[in-house]
Amino acid sequence: MKKLSLAVVGVLIVLTAAACGGYEPAEDEVVIGSVHPLTGALAGQGEMMHEGAQLAVDDLNEAGGIESLGGDSLVLRAGDSKGTADAGQIEAQRLVSEGAVALIGTYQSDVTANVSAVAERNRVPLVIDVAVDDVILEQGYEHTFRIQPNASSMGRDGAIALAELSKANGKPVRTVSYLHIEGAFGQSVHDAFEKEAADQGIDVVSEVTYPATNFTDATTQVREALAADPDVVVVTGYYPDSLLIAQAVRSLGGDVDALYGIANGGFDDSAFPADSGPAGADVLSANYHYAATDERAQDIRARFEQKYGRTMETSAMLAYQAVVVIAQGLEESGSKDPEELRDAIADLEIDDPLLEFGGPIAFDEAGENENASVTVMQIRDGKVEQVFPDEFKTADIVYPAGRAAGAKE
Amino acid sequence: MTTLTERPTTIAADDPRLKDSSATRSYAVLGVLVAVLAVLPFLLDDQTETVAVRTLIFAIMAVGWNLMSGYGGMFSFGHAAFFGIGAYTDAYLLVQHGVSPWIAMVVGALISAAAGTLIAFLCLRYKLAGPYFALATFAFAQVFLLAVQNIDALNRTEGFNVPILSEDSWTMMQWKAGSPLYFWIPLGILALGLLGTIWFVHSRTGQYAQAVRDDETAAASLGINVMRVRLVTVAASCALTSVAGSFYTQYYFFVGPEQGFGSAVSVNAIVPAVIGGIGTIWGPLVGALIVGPLSEWIADVLREPPGFLSFLEGLSGLDVAVYAALLILIVLFMPKGIYGTLRDRFRS
Amino acid sequence: MTDPTSTATAPAPEAPPDRGTQRRTSEVAVPLGVMAAVVVALVLVYAVGQRATDLVTQSIVTGLLLGGVYALVSVGLTLIFGVLGIVNFAQGAMLTMAMFLVYEMTTSGGLPVYVATLLAVPIMFLFGVVVQAALLNKLTLAGSHEGPLLVTLGLSLLIINVLLMIFGGRPLRVPGSVDGSVEVFGAVASYERLIAFGGALLVAVALLLLLRRTSFGMSIRAVSANAEGASLVGVDVRRIYALTFGIGAACVAVAGGLMAPFLSLTPTVGEQFTILAFVIVVLGGLGSVTGALLGGLVIGLVQTVGALYFPGTGSLILVFAVFVLVLFFRPQGILGAPQ
Repeated sequence: MKKLSLAVVGVLIVLTAAACGGYEPAEDEVVIGSVHPLTGALAGQGEMMHEGAQLAVDDLNEAGGIESLGGDSLVLRAGDSKGTADAGQIEAQRLVSEGAVALIGTYQSDVTANVSAVAERNRVPLVIDVAVDDVILEQGYEHTFRIQPNASSMGRDGAIALAELSKANGKPVRTVSYLHIEGAFGQSVHDAFEKEAADQGIDVVSEVTYPATNFTDATTQVREALAADPDVVVVTGYYPDSLLIAQAVRSLGGDVDALYGIANGGFDDSAFPADSGPAGADVLSANYHYAATDERAQDIRARFEQKYGRTMETSAMLAYQAVVVIAQGLEESGSKDPEELRDAIADLEIDDPLLEFGGPIAFDEAGENENASVTVMQIRDGKVEQVFPDEFKTADIVYPAGRAAGAKE
Repeated sequence: MTTLTERPTTIAADDPRLKDSSATRSYAVLGVLVAVLAVLPFLLDDQTETVAVRTLIFAIMAVGWNLMSGYGGMFSFGHAAFFGIGAYTDAYLLVQHGVSPWIAMVVGALISAAAGTLIAFLCLRYKLAGPYFALATFAFAQVFLLAVQNIDALNRTEGFNVPILSEDSWTMMQWKAGSPLYFWIPLGILALGLLGTIWFVHSRTGQYAQAVRDDETAAASLGINVMRVRLVTVAASCALTSVAGSFYTQYYFFVGPEQGFGSAVSVNAIVPAVIGGIGTIWGPLVGALIVGPLSEWIADVLREPPGFLSFLEGLSGLDVAVYAALLILIVLFMPKGIYGTLRDRFRS
Repeated sequence: MTDPTSTATAPAPEAPPDRGTQRRTSEVAVPLGVMAAVVVALVLVYAVGQRATDLVTQSIVTGLLLGGVYALVSVGLTLIFGVLGIVNFAQGAMLTMAMFLVYEMTTSGGLPVYVATLLAVPIMFLFGVVVQAALLNKLTLAGSHEGPLLVTLGLSLLIINVLLMIFGGRPLRVPGSVDGSVEVFGAVASYERLIAFGGALLVAVALLLLLRRTSFGMSIRAVSANAEGASLVGVDVRRIYALTFGIGAACVAVAGGLMAPFLSLTPTVGEQFTILAFVIVVLGGLGSVTGALLGGLVIGLVQTVGALYFPGTGSLILVFAVFVLVLFFRPQGILGAPQ
């Protein structure tokens, strides 16, 4: 027994020692930690976002590193949240221990809630690239910043955009049916939409929720949404479910003016037009979006595709942007001290965002980007085009969309 | 009833004749072990400490699970239910009512014990056993998960954030990040859990529980109140798991439905126990000490792979794949668990 | 207490009808009763359910088609669980694996999706045989429950992450098979789902014939009823175990191929079916192919019709409620042998 317990303790010590070999940044390096789901169900997104951040780091280093730090170069360290909150926290803590002066991440709201607590307690800034839940920044945390618009502002802006674009095209929306995924994300976008829609003279005649798991057929839910005979069907959800919904709307011959996504993870994904085929034609999507009208963003996307062999989605552009925000903060603060970096980021104003925002990136008291806004995209000829507002237009809008005709093929 | 565990024919510790000396020895080992582990916070950096704390949480869950499934012979696949009750009781009482986590821990443990007893009673009343029992417990955990997602008072899918205080506080169980207390508290809980296990194994009820596990009919014919013995075992198991959940909330500052009640949580309770050796005192601990750091360790190696493996760098999914392969190999070649197999080796 | 769990006393899959009259009555009466109950429930929904008629019809059609998909996944599992007593947590991952096989054959090989499905069947069968022979036989023969459970859990993680390494995690789409849909009583049903439904029926019939009409099927039933006895009369139990697991995997291959056209493929896409498949298998009765079929349809209906009243995850709570009630009051399932 004694021998055995000795053996156990021995094994423990060996394992602990083995787990210790941490990373030590060099003198002329500045470490940024990137926490994303690199394995698990969301690995596809997480990987791409990490690559987006890596591209930003490479670009900045090539351009001479951080000038105010004597040209010190950036190093991106990867953390794998595995899509779970506890793994996210462990990775965030590891990255901070390895000397990360700032964190970016994490794509998921629950993981972000955890990582933002780590950032706050270690007094290291966290720049959220993607994570939509309002609640994350309602904790009074001082070290968390978010570039993308939050759920409720997307719901609100989505309602305004819908009212305006339908009016501009001579067929103002009166009624909508709202299909959304169950949970905080879908619910908060819907609630904000409904509130703003009422002011815009739009009535939500039917709200249909569907589960986040075990959802493999949308026909019943779509039929329920169509039963109220709405002008427009609005959808908030992720990729697979949005695809099912678009297909169901088509097969049910839904005679609506438009299928309109808000904060929708599917409708403006570059894979969506091909995957959905005719069901995706003319689908509208109000979402944050990379700046398709901006040459710099186009160049980044082209190089991303060349380097990693896949299309750069908006989420990866946000990760790129998050690194740029931190780099700018470092330039301003001229220090590797996370607290000084945090203050610099809080005062930052970035005039040339890589996303289609209504103004420069600047953070308010809570850490939200004041000028984060949505753009409306539409699938035109198998491509995602920006169609509204006019200043960001890459193609003309088709409204009412030709869905009814497409369905009768 | 077929036993889920190896019959303890060679387990001296379970033999009443050797009761006193073996119990004393176990207590002594526990003392030494806790003393050795207690100095770890001084040796570990912040990053490794987070892994160590998670390992301790695994260990507490596994020790709790082992009581019911190893010694009680009732294979639970739904310990997430009790972990979640602990985590949510803590979060709810703290966030909504400002109740100290110490009190919430106790309240959560009581609720868990009650819920576990009720579930087990229903399952046993309707004579479920083996995989049926496992699936029933699994279903209950899923129902809890789905229910929480639909209850407004529990913030639905939003979960709870524990407010961060600016000062250290014993009442609120909160210290600055990396404080050794975050290690010592779960270590203390684990020590109590193991102390309880040793005591239980050698107590009359514990002996009865093992008798019931090994041969229910025989045990009943000897006048043992089978149901009572089993429910006591379940209650203890659920209470301990619940405490792990409460601590989880305190340490991670956030709990949502998946973190509390997700099926992955149930797996986290089972895997260490089985890898270490179920139905043994030290098995769950040994298992947790291996499983806890394993995935981090593999991830670490693959993050900065040695030269000949450099082509593997940055390949996502590989660390989990290796972890999974190791899990399979351990179960295949050490069916009694690492501790169980080693112990038999040392004996013979 | 009799133990319904050990393989030795588990009900034989599709026991021959000459087991006795009691068995024969329950074999017909119980499923008929269940079907009658379902029909009555549906009639009630129409009559007093306060939902638009066409919506209810749609939910029933969708539910039946969805149930067919569930049944496809479950028939393989019911064999594995019923005959081998293995809680196979890799069922969903094997389903995913089959889908990616089909994906690879259609995109790189240029094969039509249903041809690829046929080709995937022998591959998955072999995979299943190897898994059982190399990883599980020892544990199964030792009568261990938690061993196989953990091995399949590890296997599931392994499959998912190897797929992730090869294909990445972005959702993939199997190029179109049969586009379009048809109207049934005013409800819309897509061809792809109808084909999957037909496939489920075919697989069930084929399995039934295999189990009831062939000597190989007889060996499976014998091993399931009493492994020790079967080995005494010369049945190679290890071989039967391996082949049974292989058949279970082959069923999943059919399921994967038929479902691939209407799902977005990610390495975790199959996971959601694992839990439901267990619910269905227990509901239908261990080792009962018709039970799995019936159970799949019932669960599909409960989920979609239930969603009219309990949207979101509410309908899943209903599913688990049904599950727990069945466990308590009829642990042998709709079609299992009475204790």
